[in-house]
Amino acid sequence: MERFKASLVKEILLLLHDKVGLLLMYLMPLLLVFIITIVQDSAFRLVNENRLDILIVNNDKGPLGDSLVESMKNAGSFKIDVKNGINEDQLANLTLEGSKLATLYVPSNFSQSLSTNSKRISDVMLSEFGMETERNSNESNRTELPSGVQLIFDPVLQESFQVTLINNLQTMISGIESKEMIRQLYADMGYDKIPAKILKELNRNRTRIVAKPAMTGESAMVPNSTQHNVPAWSIFAMFFMVISLGSNLVKERISGSFVRLQTIPGSFLHAMFAKITVYSFVALTQLMIMFAIGVYVFPLIGLPKLNLPNHILPFLLISVLSAMAAISYAAMVGTYAKTQEQANGFGAISIIIFAAIGGIWVPSFVMPDYMVMISKLSPLHWCLEGFYSLFLKDGSWDQLLGPVIYLVSFTVLCQFMALWRLRRQHYI
Amino acid sequence: MIDSTNTSQIFKVSGVSKRYPKAESYSLTDVSFDVIRGEKLGIFGPNGAGKTTLISILSGILPKTSGEVSYYIDNQPTDFIKILPKIGFVPQDFALYQELTAKQNLSYFGKMHGLKNPELEEKITTLLKILGLDHVGNRKLASFSGGMKRRINLAIGLINDPEILFLDEPTVGVDVQSKVAIMTLLNELNAKGTTMIYTSHHLREAEDFCDRTLLLDDGRIIAEGTLHDLLEQHNADSLEDLLINLTGKALRD
Repeated sequence: MERFKASLVKEILLLLHDKVGLLLMYLMPLLLVFIITIVQDSAFRLVNENRLDILIVNNDKGPLGDSLVESMKNAGSFKIDVKNGINEDQLANLTLEGSKLATLYVPSNFSQSLSTNSKRISDVMLSEFGMETERNSNESNRTELPSGVQLIFDPVLQESFQVTLINNLQTMISGIESKEMIRQLYADMGYDKIPAKILKELNRNRTRIVAKPAMTGESAMVPNSTQHNVPAWSIFAMFFMVISLGSNLVKERISGSFVRLQTIPGSFLHAMFAKITVYSFVALTQLMIMFAIGVYVFPLIGLPKLNLPNHILPFLLISVLSAMAAISYAAMVGTYAKTQEQANGFGAISIIIFAAIGGIWVPSFVMPDYMVMISKLSPLHWCLEGFYSLFLKDGSWDQLLGPVIYLVSFTVLCQFMALWRLRRQHYI
Repeated sequence: MIDSTNTSQIFKVSGVSKRYPKAESYSLTDVSFDVIRGEKLGIFGPNGAGKTTLISILSGILPKTSGEVSYYIDNQPTDFIKILPKIGFVPQDFALYQELTAKQNLSYFGKMHGLKNPELEEKITTLLKILGLDHVGNRKLASFSGGMKRRINLAIGLINDPEILFLDEPTVGVDVQSKVAIMTLLNELNAKGTTMIYTSHHLREAEDFCDRTLLLDDGRIIAEGTLHDLLEQHNADSLEDLLINLTGKALRD
């Protein structure tokens, strides 16, 4: 026990001396989780809180262009600025030079085109009902199809935002088209306008979409950037310990300290257990600090608060298993690397690759099938699966079986390989 | 402390050979000799002769490929594990923690040897004083000169009062003052009965220090005996002459 205690003290002193390692283990993940969560939260707000800056150039000579502008304003997802009378050729420059993310150009024949299309459909419908209109059907057929609107994007606007904007616009134009078609139908039947009762129904009768996360049990957890990012970057931070622990092991081996311990009976394993104990403490404090920041600091700076899982025991189990997997991997890298540069370089790159394929940066479900298969090789993927089950799905034991089996197997494999290597080198 | 008049053997090395994994040739071939309690045995030879490999096998750091090493306590054969606590090892590298202070290093290795305070603290104070490092005991080793680190390296090897001390180049890269301090301490310890197995490239230092000499070349013993006998046998004036006569002037890797 005295040997173990002496080794613990030595490890703590070495760790406190390694200021860069401490910064990497504690400060870097905090910065990452702050930055990524703020960025993702801002993106969420950009499309949901009226902040996507749009310029509308409405050159329409009829009333429907105004209806479209009004719909865009009422949608609540955009910050609208309207400038009329601008030439079509000037749109690209106007978008690039201005601070707007996109420019919507409504051409002068927008109302006319929509109206013509509506008349055509109305004619067909009335004809199907056995009713004739005063218009000559040949005239309708000769009319050109609607020319449509143009949306000119700033090239910096990401594709996902472009798609969001197009979908919103499509919905609004469809609404205007429908209303115009009905208006035309009524006009052809002798009404000068749509009856107020019908108009009221048209405006009211929208199918409501209720979106909610799939969850078992009763949980108040709301998926948001905090619930996604805090667990993900905590895992990344724990695995990035490979830089400190891996190079620490190589350094002791190269310096000859391990050789000296070989000549002291029973001391080597005490030293290794102490090392694992200290780094386990580091990993678990990393988690605690990151989670505490999510719970207490994030709300103070306007970010969503982190909701901790309701199931404490599974939460503790996944935390400990993730920490052990990270430490075991670092120990394995440290025992196989020949130099500190090798341990640092290979360690860092391997963790970045594990993070990339494991879904830390981009969710696994957006990856192609073969990458989804490959992602299952990453220990970070399984840590993330475990934490997501707890943090996003309020999962319980059943959902954690896969992550638990993988993480235990991965830990045992890494420990075995590290011990085998040390045995081969006659340290144990 | 052992009886310095007892001249029984403590190691018996019989036909030991060593080949490292993936190496094309043997680093040691059929090496046989005895180590007598209380002696100062010097192992010399050109670079790559197998000196460090031989010391590493004797101290249990490396396994041998073939042959036998027998260990004795009071003339009775014993297991290596029983002799291990009596061993002190001073490696050629600075096998210490540069980020820790001299006292923290000594305390750590002392506790790993199973020593406890206040005896350990007393031992640390004594060693630091003998080696002229008592005024820098609380300084981190990173700030030490090469000579100071070499002295701490030796102090760590002595922390458990070893009966058998392996010294691999204990004075390499140090100034004359540090060298004198180290060699004086080693002679004092030997006078009290500590057996020493020593390698060095400082041949003048070795001439004065060693009772018996083992010359290695290409992993084989090429001469063994007291320096006086060897010089006479090979008509040499010094250990350096003897080595040149026996191993030639060709440069070694």
